[in-house]
Amino acid sequence: MDVQWSIIIDFIPQLLAGAQVTLYITVVGLIGGIIVGTVAGLMRAYGGMILNGVAFAYIEVIRGTPIVVQVMFIYFALPVLADLRIPGMTAAVLAIVINAGAYIAEIVRGSVLSIGRGLTEAGLALGLPRWKVVTHIVGPLAFRRLIPPLGNQCIVSLKDTSLFIVIGVGELTRTGQEIMAANFRAVEIWTAVAILYLVMTGTLSLILRMIEKRMRIL
Amino acid sequence: MSVVEFKNVSKHFDKLKVLDEVDLTIDRQEVVVLVGPSGSGKSTLLRCINGLEEITGGDLVVNGISVRGGHARLREIRQQAGMVFQQFNLFPQFTALENVAFGPRQVLGMNRRDSEARAMELLEKVGLSDKAHNAPSALSGGQQQRVAIARALAIRPKVMLFDEPTSALDPELKQEVLNVMRQLAEEGMTMIVVTHEMNFARSVGTRLIFMEHGKIAVDGDPREVINNPPNDRMKDFLRHVQ
Ligand SMILES: Nc1ncnc2c1ncn2[C@@H]1O[C@H](COP(=O)(O)OP(=O)(O)O)[C@@H](O)[C@H]1O
Ligand SMILES: [Mg+2]
Repeated sequence: MDVQWSIIIDFIPQLLAGAQVTLYITVVGLIGGIIVGTVAGLMRAYGGMILNGVAFAYIEVIRGTPIVVQVMFIYFALPVLADLRIPGMTAAVLAIVINAGAYIAEIVRGSVLSIGRGLTEAGLALGLPRWKVVTHIVGPLAFRRLIPPLGNQCIVSLKDTSLFIVIGVGELTRTGQEIMAANFRAVEIWTAVAILYLVMTGTLSLILRMIEKRMRIL
Repeated sequence: MSVVEFKNVSKHFDKLKVLDEVDLTIDRQEVVVLVGPSGSGKSTLLRCINGLEEITGGDLVVNGISVRGGHARLREIRQQAGMVFQQFNLFPQFTALENVAFGPRQVLGMNRRDSEARAMELLEKVGLSDKAHNAPSALSGGQQQRVAIARALAIRPKVMLFDEPTSALDPELKQEVLNVMRQLAEEGMTMIVVTHEMNFARSVGTRLIFMEHGKIAVDGDPREVINNPPNDRMKDFLRHVQ
């Protein structure tokens, strides 16, 4: 067996560049996903029939299809349907936005609904307008319950970016694949790639733990 | 002027008729005890008064304001009708003091210092000034319910609505809550109380209403109607709760 760990050093800059792309897609995608997910989740929790139905359809379509199919659709099918060219990076970010958005919507809805109706009624009975009940009572409580599953979704989305290898975006996995195709150093390269993913997800987990510790879940 | 007036009020949940053309006038300083079998519409009657349930027929006037007058009027009504729930429903992220100060601050627009001073007064009144900075989870059920009463009183209501305030409490904790309610009645607060505590009804109530299938079946002096129930279902009911 011919394994030469030292060769990794030569590829570190390239791999770090790939990791940077991964992080970029993840962070921008998740910011969008959190916004979309919050809106869709609140539509599910508080919306009338129409808003609720729209959000429900969105969530079911996304959760019922693989993310690889979603990004292929955005990258290859949308241009045909709508006659607009979408760059690979944009497609990747968009895929995370709509995919994470759907899962986050369910997380938001679940946390909001887990705050019993009794607290909302207690707020309303004091003469508070409904929006104040949401911003002062239900919101802050739901937020605390939302942190653990939201953190989990962030880690899942980060790993999902590796699937964008199918549209040729130069993220970490794609970078590893390219290096490997040139020198066939499978063991060294995939070990290095795995470690870089672990460093990223591990850092995320650590940040989450710290937030959870500082915020008591009620 | 009456504090609460039901005029031919009906309430449906879809097809189910829960309040059936109720007429009821409650005057100042009355302590109305509301009893009846489970599902007879007691909670619904109470919750229609502050608009947590929307009436589907007739009209309901609280301190001169109709519950059908829209959101803004409804919020006025809610400031004049304090509610105490079976499950306390204290805000878990706040201390006892913050729970009580929340209404004055957010609803009446008082500043922090004044609202907390008012909250402290009320906690003293319910005997819990030493627990002011405790979280609700650190209080017993009886203490939580007393904080909930203080919270409802903090917005200076004209009438207090109690929906089975002691039903979720262990027997030894019921009395401390009932004592606070008795004190409130003695101070002249208008109260409507759903409860199965017949001793409370007898000694504090000025009026007893027995509900059945969304209708007021009996309405009279508590001691009289408890001693001589005017109908058989009420007799049955009293046998079960006493
Ligand atoms: N939100 C609701 N939706 C549908 N039915 C309800 C709702 N709230 C109460 N009910 C029904 O109305 C009836 C009266 O309920 P309630 O007023 O809670 O009775 P009580 O407090 O006397 O036990 C019951 O049959 C109950 O199932
Ligand atoms: Mg009830």
